Parts: sequence; structure tokens; C-alpha cells
Amino acid sequence: MRRWLTEGFVLIIAAVVAFPLFWMVLSAFKPEDEIISADPVPWTTRPTLDSFTRALTVANFGRYFMNSIIVALIVVFLSILISFLAATALTRFRFRSRTTLLIMLLVVQMVPVEALTVPLFFLMRSVGDSVPVFGLNHLGSLVLVHLAFSLPFAIWMLRGFVAAVPVELEEAATLDGASRFRFLWQVLFPLVAPGLVATSVLSFIHAWNDFLFAKTFIISAVENQTLPLALQVFVKPDQNDWGAIMAGSTLMTIPVLIFFMLVQRRLVSGLAGAVKG
Amino acid sequence: MTAKGQGRTAFAYLAPALLILGGLLAYPIYQLVLISLYDYGQEQVSGGAPLEFLGLGNYRNLLGNQQFWGVLGQTVAFAAVCVVGTLLVGAFLAILATRVRTWVRMTLFLAALGAWSTPAVAGSTIWLFLFDANFGLVNEVLGTQGFSWTFDKWTAFGLVAAQVIWCSFPFVMVTLFAGIKAIPGEVLEAAALDGASAFRTAWSVTLPLLKPIILVVTIQSIIWDFKVFTQIYVMTNGGGIAGRNLVLNVYAYQQAFAASEYGLGAAIGVVMTVLLLGITMFYLRALRRSGEVL
Amino acid sequence: MRLKALVAVLGVGAVVACAPVQSGPTSSGTDEQTGQLRVWLFDEVNRGPKEAVVKEAISEFQGKHSGVTVDVQYIQVSSRAERFKAAFSDPKSAPDVAEFGNTDLAGYVSAGGFSELDLGKWDESKDLVPSILDTAKVDGKTYGVPWFVGVRALYYRTDVFSELGLKPPTTLDEIAPLARQIRQKKPELIGISAGGKYLFAALPFIWAQGGDIAKQDGGKFTAAIDSAEAKAGVAKYTELIKDDICPPATCAGNGGDASVEAFRAGKAAMTIGGDFNRKSVDASSAAGKYGVVPLPGKTKDSVAPAFAGGNLLGVMKGTQRKTLANEFTQLLASKKYQQKMYTAMGNLPTFSDVQKQVADSDKFLEPFTKTLQAGTKFVPVTPAWAKIEAQAVVPTMLQEIVTGAKNVDTATADAAKTMNAAFTS
Repeated sequence: MRRWLTEGFVLIIAAVVAFPLFWMVLSAFKPEDEIISADPVPWTTRPTLDSFTRALTVANFGRYFMNSIIVALIVVFLSILISFLAATALTRFRFRSRTTLLIMLLVVQMVPVEALTVPLFFLMRSVGDSVPVFGLNHLGSLVLVHLAFSLPFAIWMLRGFVAAVPVELEEAATLDGASRFRFLWQVLFPLVAPGLVATSVLSFIHAWNDFLFAKTFIISAVENQTLPLALQVFVKPDQNDWGAIMAGSTLMTIPVLIFFMLVQRRLVSGLAGAVKG
Repeated sequence: MTAKGQGRTAFAYLAPALLILGGLLAYPIYQLVLISLYDYGQEQVSGGAPLEFLGLGNYRNLLGNQQFWGVLGQTVAFAAVCVVGTLLVGAFLAILATRVRTWVRMTLFLAALGAWSTPAVAGSTIWLFLFDANFGLVNEVLGTQGFSWTFDKWTAFGLVAAQVIWCSFPFVMVTLFAGIKAIPGEVLEAAALDGASAFRTAWSVTLPLLKPIILVVTIQSIIWDFKVFTQIYVMTNGGGIAGRNLVLNVYAYQQAFAASEYGLGAAIGVVMTVLLLGITMFYLRALRRSGEVL
Repeated sequence: MRLKALVAVLGVGAVVACAPVQSGPTSSGTDEQTGQLRVWLFDEVNRGPKEAVVKEAISEFQGKHSGVTVDVQYIQVSSRAERFKAAFSDPKSAPDVAEFGNTDLAGYVSAGGFSELDLGKWDESKDLVPSILDTAKVDGKTYGVPWFVGVRALYYRTDVFSELGLKPPTTLDEIAPLARQIRQKKPELIGISAGGKYLFAALPFIWAQGGDIAKQDGGKFTAAIDSAEAKAGVAKYTELIKDDICPPATCAGNGGDASVEAFRAGKAAMTIGGDFNRKSVDASSAAGKYGVVPLPGKTKDSVAPAFAGGNLLGVMKGTQRKTLANEFTQLLASKKYQQKMYTAMGNLPTFSDVQKQVADSDKFLEPFTKTLQAGTKFVPVTPAWAKIEAQAVVPTMLQEIVTGAKNVDTATADAAKTMNAAFTS
């Protein structure tokens, strides 16, 4: 009985949380004159794909979509690797300047991102002179900068998860003769998997939704544009195309949900590993 | 292992992170501080005009501005409400999530993840739609057609805070849930065998184990909510009627970045960073006094 | 140990770079006659027709110049600021020819982005409407060719007006009483949808009273928003955003977009909208039930000076193909292609004869061309204006008045103070 009540309550909350999203999807399917209407209704009798058609016919939609996916996935992959190593170092070892480093990781997150676009722009311009793939107009510049912005957070976050793994486990593994390397990747890594899921979702969303850097760095190479920027075409000073914005946002939200469902499985197996250990 | 050996291995693990952070964050931040000491506009950036060193001129300008102090106070209060709200909602739902069957939990997580992953601009727009004075569903349901949620200073702040909590509680919830799940079952079983009540277990076993994670989500929430931009910008139409809903980041954007006054913008950025650092340090010290180590 | 080394390396870097980075000079001396000409144009929601016209112009251009290709990129209006700033700072990424909004002109020119144009040798240029050409000038020098222009006029609901037996206003002073009367009889309607952030609707009220935002004296601007005439205009406009016409709770936060949206939704009896709003109004519940007249001026049947919005085509300063860039600009902005652009996109041409021609063929345009021919005005052409606009000085002033936070005298005086600070910086 208690569980039924709790579950009912949780489902109601889920409905409330999801409602704005439902409204977004609904608006994407509504015909234009129903979107801005004096009597909004939570359904539509004349569903239409017009808004999606407009969103999808943005030239090169597929290309932009792939660019966004590539950037986001590389960022997630690299940030998992690098932040896992760094978090282990910061948790399992004691050395001087450790606290300083930790504080620095916080400080860099506090700087307003907009303020950094100017110095980063010039940095990328010089980087591009020696390594073109990481310079302006290339996806590499976006990967680098998103990686830099997701790392401090990912490291901080993973620290907590690494710290939660009992030190005795490491000692036991060492006694069993496992090398440090094996311990790191075969024991510790699966154990902190739930934490990795949370950080990678965040890195993914961060890289996926960004358009500040995309519009600053990708100046003349249209083929390297990312999706959020392409959808900006519907936001106009004079007349917003709400239907297309909603359709575009719907399309943008789907990959993140898919990504979450994929890593969700990983989260479960990570937990299974923890139980076995 | 010797202390020196430890340091060496640690450094090897840290090297990739340090390389990226040093080059792509530390160096630009150093540049930012430099820029804040100059009169640095678009003309200077593109090389059309010589640089002029102002020393602390940009800072004097800023700190002498009365509006800045008003906006600052508003920002702190607004961020505080958002942080507390996000943590409470997130923690409450994380605990509930451990007590329901998987499919119910997945439903909640999917809904939350949807909220989390909605692009900030789109999320703000949808909320505005729902709460629109004339065309919004909320007024239609409440029978308050024509009531503007964004006109009054306090309802506007409340609405934006609700939206911010909506899209940031999932992070707290998912993280705390992962943390709770990572606690070895034996520990909880042991507590149960000792006859501790559910509440006692939560308070004296689960909570202490979760402390590192709670610390992280709290600090992150402070950092994010202090820098809220999109929601205020979109939902209050650039800072509310006559700028009465401005927060620091939007203020900085309007006063500096939109007008290409990068010197002043950099100064605001530096001031914001120092302030945030102060708040975080205060929080960390309070924690340390209660026995928690960094 | 190694950490220290890293710190040392960073330290050396710090010594080397002891001042913020700047770009080198952007002007290049070369003027190549072949190769690729890069062009930036604004993207549109339905850009197909625009693209078709541009393609036509390109093939004509490429036919005339062998060894020349034209590469067009469509950039987003909403991210234009970053794109242009980036292009000015990284000439390698910059185009040769670009479309840009006339309100951005002064800022772009002072950033060293666009080069001066010599239109003297271009025959068609003499037919450009002078007040529109003025929007392409900074300090008397021309930096762009007006490609199309956008003006606003008064939209009103014909069904409401005929039901109440009303006629559209013929003087500016009639608007408020008329709107009040409509709202009294039909309380569900906004008399006239005006917005506290709708600068381009407020400006004609100020100009019609003989006031202005700022006046120029020997190249220096001083705020004039606190002059008696300007204050009269501000008072006239803010009178509209009152509970008995357009309640502040609904209207104070509205910009142009939201103001027109209320009209589209059938919630307003009048609004101030542009020729570019036509398509969206025709796709709304107000379709077929509205008319447009020029926004009346102070005296009967006069027209209030409208804001001359619109886009220009210009040649970037860093271009290595100056001659080609100039020729392409003049081709795309020519009468022939403006006519085609009108047919394709509905953009109002900037040549007086082409304007007349399209107005004759399309009744809808008449109030707009009439407004154009009555003379338009513009915001102060100075980089400081970009700052004033970014700081939302005028909208804040209007909002302070309509919410009663300040009266007209204090609000305009404060706004003038902020503006003067920007003008002198």
C-alpha cells in the first residue's frame, strides 16, 4: 500500500516534469495558427509535419547533425578517460599542490564563459597556424574547448565516486598480484561507472547544446557548423518561427535521450560489478 | 610507495588533464585578467586602434556604479533560492527513486533527463509559452487569463527560479541516486540488523557516506546558478521591465559583451569569479569546521 | 618537481605576452582579378527564392569574368555579431562581400571591417532614395549599398473598425483616444498593441513631434531625448501603454515581435508593423480582416517619419579582390536584381523608381512606399549607438515611465545622461 502511494506520487511528479516537454513536442506538431492561439488546448486535431519539414530542410541538416554528434562523442570519450585518471590521482595520492589543484579546478569553472571567448578565439587562431585541425573553422577547436570546459567538473564529480570505493579493495587487488594498470581499468573503472555515466551525460549535453563557441570559432567553414547554430535561423528579431523552433528542439533532444538510454545499461552493469566485488 | 614516487605517478595520471586545462583555461584566464586592465573594444581587438592601459579603471568604473550593487544583491539571493530548491527537490526524488520499482524509476528518470537535456533556450521558451499571459495553458487552467507572470518583479523571479530548478534538479537526483546505489548493500544490511530505523540509517549511515557527492553537487549548483544567463535573458526578455530582473551575468552581457566593451566585460568576469570563489571558500570552511576534509 | 617546471613554462609565456592580443592591420594591398570571391548573405527561414535570385546573379557575374567563382555562405542573423567580429579579427576567414543590417553599420566601420565605396561611377546609384542611402553613410562616407529597406506602418482590424463605425486615425494625436474608445467598447481587445521595448514604434512618435534621440554638432553627438519635443513624443507613446489601452502588465515587456504577435492572435485592434510582417499576419487569425495605413504625423494626413530599417551590401576591408567585390556588390544591388528580390522575397527596393513600380503592382505596399517617400529617419550613426542599444537605454526609459517608476522628465534626463556618457567615451 505504501509503495503504491509512493509510486503514484513519483509518477505524478514525472508527469509534471515531462509536461513542458510534451508541450514542446505538441507545439511542433500543431499547425502554425494553433501555436499562437488565444485558447490553447493540450491536443491538436490537425497534426502536421510542416514544422518538422521546415526544420529538416535547413540546408545540410544531416551534415550539421553528424558534426554535433562527432564533437559530442569525442568530447565524452576523452573526458571520461582523462577525468578518470585525474580523479584517481587526486583521490588516491597525496602530494603537495594537491589542494591547490583542486581549488583551481573550481576556480576555472567560476569564470563566466562569455568572458573567455575573446582570449580563446585568439588562442585557437594561433593553434590553427601550427595544427590546422584544432584551429578556427575546424571541429577540432570545438572538441578542445568543450573538453576543457567539461573536464574540471568531471574530475570533481568523479573524485567523489573514486573516494567511495574502499581502499581495502585496492590493497586486496594488489595482494592478488594485480598490476596497478589492471587494477585501474578492470577493478576501479567499472566500480565508478555510475559516476562516469552522470558525468558523461553532462559532458554530452554541454557539447551538444553549445552554440556560443560554434558561432565564435566556425567562421567561414559552413560545412563544419553544428546543429544548434543551424536552428538559430528560426530565431529572428522580427518574427520567430515557433513551430520550427519546437520541432528543432524536439529533434535535438532525441539524441540525448538515446545516449542516456545507452549508458543507462552501462550503469546497471556497473552496479552489478560492484555487487560482485 | 614513497612520497616522491606517489607524486610522480600522480603527475603521470594528471598530465593530460593539466595540459588541456593549462592551455585552454588557465592561459585564457590569465589573458582575461590582462584584458580587464585595458580599454579593449572591438577596434582594439581587430587592430584598428592602439591599446590603452587603464590599470584599475574598469574596476573603479564598475564598483562605483550603483546599479551593479543592486544587481549583485539580486544575483546572490536568486542563486541561493535556486541552489536550495534544486538540492531539496533533487535529494527528495533521489530517495524516492530508491523505493520504487524499476519501471517507475525509469519513467521518472526519463522525464527528468528530458528536462535536463532540453536546450536552455528551448526550455525557457516552452515555459514562457505555458505561462504566457494570454496564450498560456496555465492561465487557461487557473482561470486567470491576462495575468502576466513576467511583469511583476517577484513572480518573474519565481517563475525563472522554477524553470532553473526544473532543468537542474535532474543532475542532483541522478548523481545522488548513483551515490546511494554505490553504497555497498552489506553496510545498510548491517545497520538494519543492528535495529536502526530507516530514518536513522539514512541519517547516520547513508548521509555521511554521501557527503563527498553532496559536496560536489552543492558547489556545482552554486557555480551554475550564480551564472544563470539564458533563462533570465529569454524569460524576462533581457532582464525584466526596466531591468528589474537583472542578474550579474546578463548585466555583464548587456553592459559589456553585446557592446564589445571587452575590457569592462573582463573586469566583471574577474569580479564574478572572485565573488564565487569567496562564497565557495566560505562553504568549504564551514564544512571543514564540521569535520569534512577536502 | 615537474609541476614547478610547468608553472615556470607558463610563467615564461606570461612574460612574453604582457598585453592582450590584437590582430594585425587588415588592409591588404593586392587586388586580384581571378579566383574565388566569397560572399556572406543572411539566411532566411525560406531562403530558396533568395538563393535562386542570388544564383542567377552569380552566373551572370561569372559569365562576365572568366576565372572567377563566387562562393556564397548564408549566415544566421542571430549569430551575426560573433561571426562578423570574428571575421574582422581573422581576415583569413573573412568574406569579400557581405550583407549586413544598417543599424550595425557604424560599429562595423569603426571596427575597421568595411571599406569605403565609390558609387560615383555607378549610374544607377543616383536613383537610390537619399534618406535610405544616408543609412549607409558614416561621417559622410558611404560604406554600403542599400539592398532593401523595411519600414513600419499602422496595421488595424477592418472588422472591428467597421463594427464600431470607426475610421483609421489621421493624426498622431487621434491614436490614443481612438484606441481607448475601442478598448472601452471591446474590453477583450488591446486598443493598440505597443511595446515598452519596441524602439522602432516609439521613434516615429518622437520624430513626429520634432524631437530626436540625439543631435549631431560638428561630428559630436549629444543626447536630445530630454528636449521638450522629444519628451512630448515620449509622453505620447507611453500614454498608449496604460491600462485603458495596452495594459503595462501585458505590453511593457514587448518588443516589436511580441507586439505584432498580439495583433496576429486577434487580441489587438491596432499595431505598428512592418512590410516584412505581412506574411505572418496573413497566416494568422487576423488574416483578411486587416488594413494598413501610414502612421499619421502631427498634422492631418501627414506621415510620421518612420525608422528606415534594412540591409546593406558592403565590401570588406581585408579583401584581396577589391574590384571584383565592388562589381559584384553593384550587380546584386542593381535595379534588376532588387526587382527580382522583391518578387522572390517581398523585400522593398531602395531605388525610388523601382519602389514606385512595385507599389503600383501591389496595393498592399502602398502605405509603406508612401511612408518611405514621406521621408524616413535613422538612429544616430556612431559606434556609441551600438553600446546604447546593447545597454537597452531607450527601452529601459520607456519601461520606467509606463510602470510609474519614474516620470517622463526624470526618465528622459537619466537616459540622456547615460547616452552622453556613451557618446563621449
